[in-house]
Amino acid sequence: MKSWGLLLVAALALSGSYGVDRNNFKTCDQSGFCKRLRGFKPEKSEYTLNLDTVLVHGNVLSAEVDTVDTSTQERKVLWHYAMRLSALVDGTFRVEIDEVDPLYPRYRTQLALNGDPKADGLKLLSNENGKLTLANSQGHKVVITAAPLKIEFLNQAGDVAVVLNDNAQLVVEPLRVKKERIDDEDGNAVEVEEEGTWGESFKSHHDSKPRGNEAVSLDFSFPDADNVYGIPEHTDKFALKTTTSGEPYRLFNLDVFEYELDSRMAIYGAVPVLYSHGPKHSAGVFWHNSAETWVDIVNYADSTVVSSLVNLVTGGQKRRVDARFISESGIVDVFVFLGEKPSDVFRQYVMLTGPAPLPPKFSLAYHQCRWNYVDEADVRSVDNGFDEHDIPADVIWLDIEYTDRKKYFTWDPLKFPNPAEMIANLTSKGRKLVTIIDPHVKREAGYFLHEDATDLGYYVKDKDGKDYEGWCWPGSSSYPDFFNPVVSKYYSERYSFENFPGTSKDVHIWNDMNEPSVFNGPEITMPKDCRHYKPPQDGNDGLAAYWEHRHVHNEYGLWNIRATHEGMLQRADSKYRPFILTRSAFAGTQRYAAVWTGDNMAEWGFLAVSVPMCLSLASAGISFCGSDVGGFFKYPEAELMTRWYQAGAFQPFFRAHSHIETKRREPWLYDPATTALLRDANRRRYALLDFWYTLFYEHSVDGLPVMRALFQEYPKEEDTYTIDDQYLLGNKLLVRPVVEPGVSNVKVYLPGSATRTLWYDVDTYHAYPANGYLTFDVTLSKVPVFQRGGGIVVRKERVRRSSALMADDPYTIVVALDANGTSEGSLYIDDGETYEYRNNKYIYAKLAYEPSAMTYSFVNDKASYPTRSWVERIVIAGIKNPPKTAKLVQGEKQTSLQMTLHKGNDVLVVRKPAASMAQPWKIIFSY
Amino acid sequence: MIYPTWINQFYSVFFIVGSFITYVQSDVPRPRGVSLSKAPLYSPTKDFTCFDGTITIPFSYVNDDYCDCFDGSDEPGTSACLNGFFHCTNAGHRPLNIPSSRVNDGVCDCCDGTDEYASGETCVNSCEELGREARAEAQRMAELYKAGSHLRLELIEKGNAKRNEMAEQLQQLEKDKAEAVQLKDEKENLKNMLESKENEALKVYREAEEQEKQRKAEEEKQKAIKEALEHFNKYDTNHDEVLTMDEIIAAQVFDKDHDGNLASEELTYFFGENESVDKETFVTTTWSLLKPLLMVKDGLFKPVEEHEELEQEDADEAAGDLDTEYTGQDDEASDLDLPQDDTEEHEQEAEAEHGNVYDEETQKLVDEATEARRQHTDAERTVREIEANIRKIQQNLEKDYGLQQEFATLDGECWEYEDKEYVYKLCVFQKVTQKSKNGGAEVGLGNWGEWAGGDQNKYAIMKYTNGVSCWNGPSRMTTVHISCGLETKLLSVTEPFRCEYKMEFSTPAACDESSPSAQHSSHDEL
Repeated sequence: MKSWGLLLVAALALSGSYGVDRNNFKTCDQSGFCKRLRGFKPEKSEYTLNLDTVLVHGNVLSAEVDTVDTSTQERKVLWHYAMRLSALVDGTFRVEIDEVDPLYPRYRTQLALNGDPKADGLKLLSNENGKLTLANSQGHKVVITAAPLKIEFLNQAGDVAVVLNDNAQLVVEPLRVKKERIDDEDGNAVEVEEEGTWGESFKSHHDSKPRGNEAVSLDFSFPDADNVYGIPEHTDKFALKTTTSGEPYRLFNLDVFEYELDSRMAIYGAVPVLYSHGPKHSAGVFWHNSAETWVDIVNYADSTVVSSLVNLVTGGQKRRVDARFISESGIVDVFVFLGEKPSDVFRQYVMLTGPAPLPPKFSLAYHQCRWNYVDEADVRSVDNGFDEHDIPADVIWLDIEYTDRKKYFTWDPLKFPNPAEMIANLTSKGRKLVTIIDPHVKREAGYFLHEDATDLGYYVKDKDGKDYEGWCWPGSSSYPDFFNPVVSKYYSERYSFENFPGTSKDVHIWNDMNEPSVFNGPEITMPKDCRHYKPPQDGNDGLAAYWEHRHVHNEYGLWNIRATHEGMLQRADSKYRPFILTRSAFAGTQRYAAVWTGDNMAEWGFLAVSVPMCLSLASAGISFCGSDVGGFFKYPEAELMTRWYQAGAFQPFFRAHSHIETKRREPWLYDPATTALLRDANRRRYALLDFWYTLFYEHSVDGLPVMRALFQEYPKEEDTYTIDDQYLLGNKLLVRPVVEPGVSNVKVYLPGSATRTLWYDVDTYHAYPANGYLTFDVTLSKVPVFQRGGGIVVRKERVRRSSALMADDPYTIVVALDANGTSEGSLYIDDGETYEYRNNKYIYAKLAYEPSAMTYSFVNDKASYPTRSWVERIVIAGIKNPPKTAKLVQGEKQTSLQMTLHKGNDVLVVRKPAASMAQPWKIIFSY
Repeated sequence: MIYPTWINQFYSVFFIVGSFITYVQSDVPRPRGVSLSKAPLYSPTKDFTCFDGTITIPFSYVNDDYCDCFDGSDEPGTSACLNGFFHCTNAGHRPLNIPSSRVNDGVCDCCDGTDEYASGETCVNSCEELGREARAEAQRMAELYKAGSHLRLELIEKGNAKRNEMAEQLQQLEKDKAEAVQLKDEKENLKNMLESKENEALKVYREAEEQEKQRKAEEEKQKAIKEALEHFNKYDTNHDEVLTMDEIIAAQVFDKDHDGNLASEELTYFFGENESVDKETFVTTTWSLLKPLLMVKDGLFKPVEEHEELEQEDADEAAGDLDTEYTGQDDEASDLDLPQDDTEEHEQEAEAEHGNVYDEETQKLVDEATEARRQHTDAERTVREIEANIRKIQQNLEKDYGLQQEFATLDGECWEYEDKEYVYKLCVFQKVTQKSKNGGAEVGLGNWGEWAGGDQNKYAIMKYTNGVSCWNGPSRMTTVHISCGLETKLLSVTEPFRCEYKMEFSTPAACDESSPSAQHSSHDEL
C-alpha cells in the first residue's frame, strides 16, 4: 500500500515545480463563444449587402446587410444589420456592423480612440454587377461584393491589401429574448436553444449570461503578406504563428501567476491590432472591441498549413495570411490601415488611439523597485547605497506593503511614519518616489475609501445588483466602477496632496492588478456578469440599464489609469507630467501609462522574451515598455543579472524588481566585479538619456515605435521579417542584447546592404558594412550596440547620481558618417517635467554634418529653452579625409577649435567647442 | 568603462586654448579640488603629466572642464572626468574626497560648500558646526569608553576566573574519568566471565528453541503456497496453468485503485512487463501483491491510501524545515544521541530468555550474569557522562571569548527584544530565536558561528548561522553588532535582508579604549 502513496508523492513533486497552472484558464473549447464560432461554417445562410439601401453621404457609405437563407430558392431574409463604411484620413477606413434594431444596445468600446477619427472624402465610383467601387481622396479604393458580402481594400499602388469576409466568417449573433425552445403551431420544436446560451460554467464559477449569446466574428485576408504581427500581449514570437493545430491567440486581460513562455495564452494586456507585412506592402486592422477575443491565424507559407488548403484558398500562391477575430460581445467595428510601409501602418493605428505624450524625463532613467522596501530606513539605505557605489538611479519604488494593511492612499503608521521627510530626502538628490495604488479596495469598516464607495454606490455590482465582493491582497475587496464619471472623478481626487498625505509632485503612481485581478474569481478576474455603470440614455430598466463586465473587461484597466492620470494632473494644477505604470493594457493605454511585462522569472528565457514582447507592444502603440530587470520570481545569478541590466539599459522602461520571498539583489549585493558591470550598464543608460528623451519626444509627435523591429526601417529585406532578438532605437542605434548564458559571440544581423549602410560599434567606433548576419565576439562587459552610419547621437558623459542633476551638463555629439561622409540627428531639450513645452519652452534641433560644416538648427524657431548645456566634444567616426581647421560660429562669435585625429579607427575629435545649446550654431571645416 | 574607448586611444598633440585654473585661498597655491598632499604634483610652471603617466598636457588644460587624462587627474576641480575625485578641505571638520560627478551638481556634498562653485547653488559652510558636533560626539564616546572600560576590566577578571574554573574542572574530570574507566574495565571482565558461564548453561535451551522456530516457519510457508494455489486455480478459468490478461480482467479484485476499471498500469503493477503469469511466478511474486487487495475486499484492511498520501506529503514538506532545525542544535542534544544499543540489546535478550523456565542452577548463573551486565552498563554510563562534560568544557575553552576573555561571562546569558510582532532572544555564544506574539513555535534565527568583524575589529560583529530555512530561500542567519555601552542589552532587531537578521547589542565588554571604533571620531581632523 505504501508504494502507491509514494508514487503519488513523486508525481506531485514533479508537478509542483515552477509554472503556470493552466487549469485556471480557459481554452477555446472551454469558452462557449469561441468553441461555438471557431467551428462555424456558413452552410445555410450568408451575409448579403442590400444594394437598394446603399447611401453615400459625406465620408460614409451606409447600407443594410442581411443574413439570408441560402438553403431555399427564395433566399428569405433572416436578420437585418446596418453597415457603415467610413473613409478616414491617412489611408484608414472603418467598417461597423450592428443589428438594425437590437433588443438592447450592443456595447461600443469607449476609451480606445483618441477622440473622433478625422474624416476623409468618399466617392462612389461604380455600382454594377453586384459590386460597389468607392475611393477616398488619397487614391485608396474599396470594392464591395454584395452577395456574399466581401470587402476588398486596395492601396495606392492598386494592390489588394486587405479583404474582409473572404472566408465568410462574418458573424453577429442577434440578441434574443430568452426562450428555451421555439415551437411552431403544432407544438413541434423548430429551434431548441443550445446549452450554454443562457449560462455557462467554468470550474466552480457560473456565468449567468442574462443577454444570451451575442458574439461577433470576422475574417481578414492579407494577400502578399509574409507575416502578421501585433495583438499583444503574448509570450510568443513577434511574427505570429499559424494556429490551426492549436489554441488561437487569446486577448483577455488576466493575472496569470508564473506565466509561461512561447504561449498564446492571454496574459495581462490585450491590444487587438494586427499588421501584415510582405515585400510588396504592409497593411493592418484594428478590431475595436473590449470583450474577450480569440484570434486565429493561418499563414499559407507555414509548413503546418496543409497544401490542399493552400491551393483551395490561394490558388497555389503561398504569400498570404488570414486572420480571424472572435469576440464574445459588442459589434463588428474594424479599422483598416492601408500603409503602405510598416511605419505607415504603425502610425495609422497610433494616430487613431493617440500617441503616448512626452513622459517626464526621470521616468526614462533607472528605477529601483522591490516587493518591498520595508520601511523608511530601508528606503534611505537603498537610496544611499546607490551613492556609496556611485551607481546612478532616479526612482525608488514602494510596493503594497507601505500601506496601512493594504488600504491604498494610506501609509503604514509604524514603518512609514514620515513619508514627506523620506520623499524630501530622495528629491534632495533629484530622485523620485513611485508608490503602488491598486484598484481593489479593502472592505474594512472605517476605511474612508470603502465607506465612501459603499455609501455612494461606487463599486462594481454583482449580477444581482449588490456590491461585488472579491478577494485580493487586502482580503475581501471591492472594485470601483470607473465607468461612472462620478466614480472616476472621486477616484481622481484621492490623488490630491491633501487626500494622499505626504505625497508631492515627485511621487508618481503604479497601478497594478488592474486586469482586474480577483484571486477567487473565474480565471482570477471579475465574473463576466458583474454590472458596470451605463449612461441612462437607454433607460433604467433591466438589461438596458447596465453593461456587463463581459462587454468592458479589457477596457477596465484603461479606465483605472485614466482616472489616476486625471488625478495626477489635477493635484498640481496640470503643471507636471504624471508618470504611471500599469500592468493591464488595452488600445489607448499609451496615452496614460507605461507598461511592463508583469511577473516574470529570473530565467534566461524570460530575459530573451522581453524583446519580442516589447516589440509587439511597441507596434501596438505602447512604446514605453520593459520587463522586471533580474526577473520577479526566483533569484538571478551574477551573469543573468548582468545581461539583464545590459538589456534593460537599452529598453524603454528600465526597472529592477523582485519578489518579497527572494534574496535581496540591489546592484552592490553582488561581487564587486558584477557590481561594476551593473554600474556600467546604468551609466550607459544615463549617457544616452537625452537620446532616449529625444526619441520619446519624436514618438509623441509621429507615433512611431521607439523600440522598432528591423523590418520597419528595412521593409524590403526579407531576412528581417522574423528577427525579434534585436531591434532599432529610432533609426539610429541597433541593439542586440546578449540573452544567452556563457556565450563568447552572438549573431547580429546588420541590415541595409543595398544602401551600403555602415554600422559603428559604439564602444570602439569600428565600422561594419551591412551584410546580413555577422558573428560578433562578446565578453561579459560587452553590449552589442551599433550606431548607423548617417546617424548622429547625443550623449552626456558626465553621469551623476540622478538625471535631474545632469540637466545642465555638456553634450558629447557622436557623428557616425555614412558612405557619403554625411550624417544627421536631432535633439530635444526642455525642463524635463512640466507642460511648459506646450508653450514653446523647448528646443527641438536638427544636427546635420557635411564635410564642409556641421550645423545645429532649431526646427521650430518660435520655440526656445534657456538651457545651460553646451557642447563638450564632437566625435566624428568614419572620417576618411579629415579637415585641417574648424571654426565655431555662434551668433556674432567665431572661435577656432582644436581637433585631434585618431588614425587607427578614423575618428576625429573636436575638443571643447563650448557652443551653447540654447542657440543655433555652425562649425565650418576647411581642408 | 562608460567612456567610449576612443579616449583610451588618443595620443596626440594638444594646443592651448584658454585657462580655467582657480586657486583656493590657502598658503600653498594649488588648483581647485586638490589636497595639500597632492599640491606638489600640480606645478603651474610645468606641463602636467597625468598621474598614470600616459599623457602630458599644457598646464592650462588642468581644470579647464575637459577631461584629458584617463585617470581623471587633470580635472580635480571640475566634473569633466567621470573617474576623478574632488578634494574638500572642510576646514574645521574632516576633509573629504568626493567623486567628480558631485561637483557642481546642485547638491552640497562638502561641508565647506566648495563643491558647488558654479552651479548656482548656495551652500552654507557648516564645517564649524559639524566639527563641533563631531568633537562633542568624540568626547562623549571617549567618556563612555572610559566609564565602560572599568566595567570591562571586571568582565575580564570574571572571564579569566571562569576560564580558570573550567580548566580546573577539566582537570578534575580527567581524573574522575581515569577512575571510572578503570572501574568499567573491571566490571567488563567480570561480566565477560559470568556471561561465558551463562552461555554454556543456556546452549541446550537455545537449540531447542531454534528448532521450534524453524518448524513454525515451514508451516507458515506451506500454508501460504496453498492459499496462493487456490486463488490461482480460481482465476485460471480455462485451467491452462497460465493466468492471462483476460482472466485477470474478469476478476475484479485486481482493480487496484477501485475505480471499477482496470487500467493498463494496474495490470503492469501485478504483471510486470509480462502479458501473463505462470503458476510459479504467481505464487512467488504476484500473490504477495494481490493479497492485501483481497484483505481490503474482505474488510480486513482499511483502504487508507488517500490518508497516507496526504500525510506523506506533509511529512515531506516539513522534513526540510525539521532537518535544518535540528542541525547544530545544542551540544547536549547530540550527547544524548550517543550509542547505547549493545547493552540494551543484551537486556532485552535476557528478558526474552526470562520467558523460559530454567533449572535452578542455570537460573542462578543467569541472574549473576544479569547483575554483572547491569553493573557494567552503569560503569559505562558514568564514563560517558564524564566524557560529555569534558567535551562541553573543552568546547567552551576553545571558544574565542575575546582577546582578554572579556565576553566569557556572557556565554549562555540571554537577552530579549520585543517589536510589534515578535519577541527576539539572543543567547550569547549559543543561539538566536524569534517567537511570534500571536503564538506559534520558536523559530531559530541561527546558532553561534563565529566572530565576523573582519581584520579591523574582529570582536565588533558576531555571526549566528544555520537557522531554520526560509520558504524558497536560504537558512536564516543573524549578525550581532556589538557596541560599547554601560549596560548589556539588545538595542534593536531588524531584518535588512530577507532571512538575514541584524541585532544591535551593547555591552561594557566592547568598551576597549584601544579598539578602532573608540579611536574613530577623534582622528583625521585638520
